Amino acid sequence: MPTTRRQFIKRGVGAVSVSLVMPRIWLSEARAQDIAAFDSRKFVVIQLGGGNDGLNTVIPYTNARYASLRPVLSFDEAELKDAQGHSTIISNELGFHPVMGEFKSLFDAGKVAIVNGVGYPNQSTSHFLGTDIWMTANTNGGSGNGWLGKYADQVYVGKSSLSAINIGGTLPKAFFSDKFVVPTISNFATYTFQTDSRFAGDRNNQLNTFRANNNRALAPGSFAGALADTGIEAVDGAGALTAAIANYNSTVTYPANNSLGNALRMVAQTMTTIPDNNLGYVSLGGFDDHSAQIGSAQDPTNKLIGSHATLLMNFSQAVKAFLDDMDAHGIRDVVIMVFSEFGRRPNENASRGSDHGRAAPMFVLGNPVHGGLYGQYPSLEATALDSAGNLKENIDFRQVYATILDKWLGADSRSILGASYENLGFLN
Amino acid sequence: MASLSYEQGAHLLRRAGFGGTPEEIDNLSTRGREGAVDYLINFNQIDNSAMESLLASSFDFSSQGDITNGEIRRWWFTRMVATKRQLQEKMTLFWHNHFATSSSKVQDVFMYNQNNVLRQYAFDRFDTLLLRVSQDPAMLIWLDNITNVLGRPNENFAREIQELFTMGINDVVTGQQNYTEEDVKEVARAFTGWNYRRQPPFPFQINASQHDNGTKTIFGQQSNFSGEDVITILAAKPATARYLTWKLFNFFVYPVTNSSADKATIDTFSKVYLNNDHSIKELVRAIFTSDEFFSERALFSLIKQPVEYTVGSIRMLGGTYNPGTNPRGSNTLAQSSRNMGQDLFGPPDVAGWEFNLGWINTASMLERYNFANTYLSNRNTNNPGVFVTNDQLKSITKAASKKTVKKFLARLGPLSVGEALGTLRTYLETGDNGQPVVYVNDDATVDKKIRGLVHQIMSLPEYQLN
Repeated sequence: MPTTRRQFIKRGVGAVSVSLVMPRIWLSEARAQDIAAFDSRKFVVIQLGGGNDGLNTVIPYTNARYASLRPVLSFDEAELKDAQGHSTIISNELGFHPVMGEFKSLFDAGKVAIVNGVGYPNQSTSHFLGTDIWMTANTNGGSGNGWLGKYADQVYVGKSSLSAINIGGTLPKAFFSDKFVVPTISNFATYTFQTDSRFAGDRNNQLNTFRANNNRALAPGSFAGALADTGIEAVDGAGALTAAIANYNSTVTYPANNSLGNALRMVAQTMTTIPDNNLGYVSLGGFDDHSAQIGSAQDPTNKLIGSHATLLMNFSQAVKAFLDDMDAHGIRDVVIMVFSEFGRRPNENASRGSDHGRAAPMFVLGNPVHGGLYGQYPSLEATALDSAGNLKENIDFRQVYATILDKWLGADSRSILGASYENLGFLN
Repeated sequence: MASLSYEQGAHLLRRAGFGGTPEEIDNLSTRGREGAVDYLINFNQIDNSAMESLLASSFDFSSQGDITNGEIRRWWFTRMVATKRQLQEKMTLFWHNHFATSSSKVQDVFMYNQNNVLRQYAFDRFDTLLLRVSQDPAMLIWLDNITNVLGRPNENFAREIQELFTMGINDVVTGQQNYTEEDVKEVARAFTGWNYRRQPPFPFQINASQHDNGTKTIFGQQSNFSGEDVITILAAKPATARYLTWKLFNFFVYPVTNSSADKATIDTFSKVYLNNDHSIKELVRAIFTSDEFFSERALFSLIKQPVEYTVGSIRMLGGTYNPGTNPRGSNTLAQSSRNMGQDLFGPPDVAGWEFNLGWINTASMLERYNFANTYLSNRNTNNPGVFVTNDQLKSITKAASKKTVKKFLARLGPLSVGEALGTLRTYLETGDNGQPVVYVNDDATVDKKIRGLVHQIMSLPEYQLN
């Protein structure tokens, strides 16, 4: 285990601000401002698990092939209106799903870049291999560390152990790393090392014993080493985290019964109270809409209900609330990236659903983003689809990663992605 | 016949089950390697009436409405803690992960029924198990086969039966691609019309008008394949034998690498399946009696699943899980395991749980430590919950602090923990003010420091390993 991180951990969170300020003494003012700028930049990843139906998210409502391939699922122009009657159309060809009114308002404000037709060559239609590939940026089997784990190893070692936080029950492979342990939190209330309440006087002995046992030098790269490192990170990070988030106050009301909203609110809690917390990761599952993508048993053809509409509505409302919250805290340097492991097949199935597909749109949004349309929307013509009838990609997802790494996170994307990818221009 | 040391017996019981008391481990060791595996695998000969009585007095599933989300979880954890047939429950857990189905989409009564199907056919021919699971309502609902109909196939089941239940995308030994997108489409056609009758006991049926009787091209062969045909074909594939062997090794033996040596091992054991009429029982027996299973490499090479962490801590220490009765039952085990990342009846997706490093993150580690604290600090032995009595703890202590630590490490593994042994001893000899105190194994010390000691052992990195 690298001593740098251990030493840092032992210093505790109080020393963090010092470590960020000190280097300026030796730096030119311009360079110092540069670093300060990166130090305050926030990046949040939203994973839509299960394969989001891109065609019914950014809808090619004028495309006759779209309508004919999806007699049940497709939306026409007249249907692209949100609950207030506002149009969700964004161009002569494209519109958002009508439940995405909040997201449309962000697009209108110039904050949303839509990158159309994203995928990679021979894109996997397996959830599991597909997800691993997106997480590792390794299209050859999806093995190895995560792209964000590699970034964390480069940038966060020696900095605050709360630099990056994953919200959820499991650590996504995107954060698999060699050195930096990304904390995973599903519930702030239980995020603490509990000891026997009958003997409060023994608590310090318990904590000291725990630290001594888990700070032992165990074989690097072994499971035991990873367990000990993660345990130390958890117990020491938990104290700092609990103290910090107690200071969170917000005027923004998050949508009720919305798990993504809850998760993003947790991100806001940490990002607004822990200055060094710059990277957040949340996920929303359930996009594997093989059946009942629209409608209910009673109302089977209603496209404003059903699993996909519910998910997109929750997504739209949660993202808007989160950005409002960050704005209200004066934190404007926030970029969000939204991805799913694959899109869905243009030709609907008989279950009011859609099967696994390939290329789909990604979103990158936030105040610093140059909103608009990027990439070419994939053709739905029969000759343009692959042999399984799926959309082909025009943009490689690693171009999106590279743009964010290079332009927003101040990293060298080549060292993380293993090759150079053309930037897309949605960030300066 | 190969002998079986105490450590090997403990290893076998932790892997083939959830671990046990010294008496249970001795019972295995005295039988030798093959005899112990025989004993575990021919579990029908083991008297399990105590568990059956406990289940009968703790659960009432006589009406369908009683079979709820919480109740089925409480029920399975009760089985795992109380059963004398440990391998039966462990293998059911293996298949639950293999055919990962979740109550997020499937009604609890069907989850419960599927669990019983998994248990009933756990050691049968794989063809039989695969057919029973595929025709059971839970799977028909979970992967949308009930809406897979003539002319408009739904590919969900057709894909996963190949990718996850039988062959895998690529052969785990040869690396060759096992099926094409076209195979997925054609296999889906073979399963069209598979459904179940909507009245109890919800039997399987094929809706003839929705079944595609046309010619299908599957793996290059043309025929009017039925779903049953496809299952027979898949179960006979060498790729399936290798994939199942690979999964069993990863679950029961050690994390399998991509090395050619490991591929050769998987290939060798897969022959047991192919040469024994696809018998799961014979494959599992071959694995548990193998030198690979007892190799240095295998020992403590896996990270405990949350279910192993929770259930094992009770079984090894001689603790108690009192499940209570509905509606005052205790679901502590199910909730803790879920918080650690393993929600029984609720795997994250159809691929099941990600093992080893997949269990580790800061939140799940805190959940482990905090479960240990909940277990050890619960002195309310009259109510439903998880606890260990002072008497039980005292029976494991020794007069000297070092021997006491050693005794508990032996009991909870046996674990070898290097310099942590000294640290734990120091813990026993440290008072509230941080000053040294003399260790005495009296009741007050047991209630305070021995409970704290076990909490600390359960928080060691070594204890997280299996």
